[in-house]
Amino acid sequence: MMNVLGIGILFTRGSGVACFEKALNDGWQEPAGEADANLKDKISPAYQVVLETVTGRALLKKMRRSDKLSKMAVLAASDALRSSAIENMNKKRLGIIVATAFGPQVTTFKFLDEILDYGEANVSPIIFSNSVHNAPAAYVSSALDIQGPTLTVTQFYFSFQYALQLAQAWINEGRCDYILVGAVDQYGDVLKYVHDCKLTPAPDNRIRPFNFNPTYHVPGEGAVFILVGKGNSKNAFCKVENVWIGEHPECKAPADIDIIDTDGMLADESAYFSSISPDIPVAAYSPLFGSMMVGSAFNCAAGVLMLKNQVCYANPVRDNPHGIKLLNNAGSINIELVRCIRYNCQGEKAAIYLKKK
Amino acid sequence: MLITGLGVISAAGINLAETLVSFEGRKRNAGPVSLFETPLRYPVFEVREIPRRFYLEGQRTLSLALCAVDEALEGAHLKDELSNFRVGVCMGTTVASQLNDIEFYKSYRTTGTASMVAVDRYVKGNLAQFVSRKIRATGPSLTVVNACSSGTDAIGVAFSWLNNGLCDIAIAGGADELNRIPLCGFGSLGIVSSDLCKPFDRGRKGLNLGEGAGVLVIETKDSAQKRRRTSDFYLVGYGSASDAYHLTAPRPDGAGLESSINKALTESGIKPHEVSFVNAHGTGTLENDLVEGMVLGKVFGADLKVLSTKGFTGHALGAAGGLEAVFTVAGLREGWIPVSIGFEHKDETIPVVPVRKRTYINGHHAVSTSLAFGGNNAALVFRRDLR
Repeated sequence: MMNVLGIGILFTRGSGVACFEKALNDGWQEPAGEADANLKDKISPAYQVVLETVTGRALLKKMRRSDKLSKMAVLAASDALRSSAIENMNKKRLGIIVATAFGPQVTTFKFLDEILDYGEANVSPIIFSNSVHNAPAAYVSSALDIQGPTLTVTQFYFSFQYALQLAQAWINEGRCDYILVGAVDQYGDVLKYVHDCKLTPAPDNRIRPFNFNPTYHVPGEGAVFILVGKGNSKNAFCKVENVWIGEHPECKAPADIDIIDTDGMLADESAYFSSISPDIPVAAYSPLFGSMMVGSAFNCAAGVLMLKNQVCYANPVRDNPHGIKLLNNAGSINIELVRCIRYNCQGEKAAIYLKKK
Repeated sequence: MLITGLGVISAAGINLAETLVSFEGRKRNAGPVSLFETPLRYPVFEVREIPRRFYLEGQRTLSLALCAVDEALEGAHLKDELSNFRVGVCMGTTVASQLNDIEFYKSYRTTGTASMVAVDRYVKGNLAQFVSRKIRATGPSLTVVNACSSGTDAIGVAFSWLNNGLCDIAIAGGADELNRIPLCGFGSLGIVSSDLCKPFDRGRKGLNLGEGAGVLVIETKDSAQKRRRTSDFYLVGYGSASDAYHLTAPRPDGAGLESSINKALTESGIKPHEVSFVNAHGTGTLENDLVEGMVLGKVFGADLKVLSTKGFTGHALGAAGGLEAVFTVAGLREGWIPVSIGFEHKDETIPVVPVRKRTYINGHHAVSTSLAFGGNNAALVFRRDLR
């Protein structure tokens, strides 16, 4: 078992734990519209991050040439370290595991623009360097002087779960004292096109996490980093009791609250419905940060804050056609165990169990 | 952890036996790019013919991976036994992780629409997930995208899975195809040689790109015992450390690489003098070889037997660590390592001297190192038990 010692978060409404807690308390807001570059008369709503409004940007001076994806990762990772308030951390014993579904796809397409516009022999080495999948992790390492193992992993649906599971393994083996486990993805116009072809945009810009089928999505982007470690249990937010991926009977163990990753990224999310118990309140916070493959990390962060603060956050969107037991009232509550559930398109399940410290 | 299967495909051969023949015969199967039209005139190490039964249209990296996985499973006698075990798949790559189909993108940016064929291939083609589903593995599956150390790190992740009981058997390594995007990108960085690469040579001018896949089957003692299999070869240590320095250049003092090697040696419980040879990353670029050579000299001493196999395979990026892990185990198994081809003239600023001929090995341990974009450094230690 490992402790959650810090959280850094960057999403459409800003950065930091306080900002995320405010969003969890304030509830749903309309996503900002963004003019579509190719279809100029249309508006494409998405929960995008506006870096210019984020505080603590001094850190970005060191990485002026990096792209938005890397900047989001560095800001969230730095925030996670700061929130832990651990002093004199040995950065050689601090690891980084970054989970991403699409990586620097916006920069990759920018590099393809270079090839198409200027020819193969005249492309930008800076854009190429930033298009490599592990660039965000590399920037986190260099900007924060972290010299432990640094890894980037991708696995479309369970990237974050595998990253967290691996962090537990590294800590068990003594490879690191602390690990920054992060999730980051960026929205872009090509991804919007793919989304529009493959998924159903929410007609009123509202993700309905409890609809299950049909599903509606509103794209999001951002970064979450969770600092985990074995020690410092006194200051811990909560514990990660276990991470189960695939068919394990332990995945079914009941918790006090279930947080589900429904966000319209699957055309059919009925598998979630079948996993829900009629007695356990269910929450889904995707309407706050948007639909994205690494959305699990944001829901997990919400679970961590519930356990730390011993409060529950009401569902931001409460449409409930199936009459399931929803977490609809915010307030103080005695919570011991939170289960964060995710399914992939094959109906395989992953569950992160978070426990009160 | 026991190593019970090895599989490789690269320009040096479509399996390990063919590769060893290339190594012995000092064959360098390089030539101009034939896989796609390009004005770039760099020599590359292409796989001339992927065996038909593994070939998947438009999914070259996956085809290469399947070929190497098949050889490794065959060698491990696992093909009929997979369903009885929790088998994890951890694979490193660079190209297969990117939606970089230029025709798809060209159509999208010109017309605002594009066929979803490339997207479907990409989404279904996550390397580890694809391999896992293909062989019907039931354990964890994860793709490592750590640039040029991806293959080595994937083996390290699999090692951790096994150590932590997350699976009984792991299929781990790397795969990457020769692709236009890294060719242009590495070219733009000025680190691609227009001649055949010369790792560690004082006249080195850069790397040559290659492609391929290298895969190990690694398993716990319990799993091997249950299968009534044995092996003399073990993965005994993995170390990883970051430079925290620069996106593309290695840290000049090599502290990250040194740390990763020391961690791997410590985990193995051995001292540097017990290492019989090192299969180095040795790309043939000025900076990589200088830093790596300096660190190898510092850790192991100037008499170290060291080679780079990239003179036979080119730099296969995410596959490199997988290929070189297989070559390292093969060196222990065969009792010899090939000439570090391309190396002729000692660079006086580099303390180690790569082997100039086929060299016999008697020791029990060998190390494979990888350095990567982003400042990742990784090292693996392998052991042979002499019966």
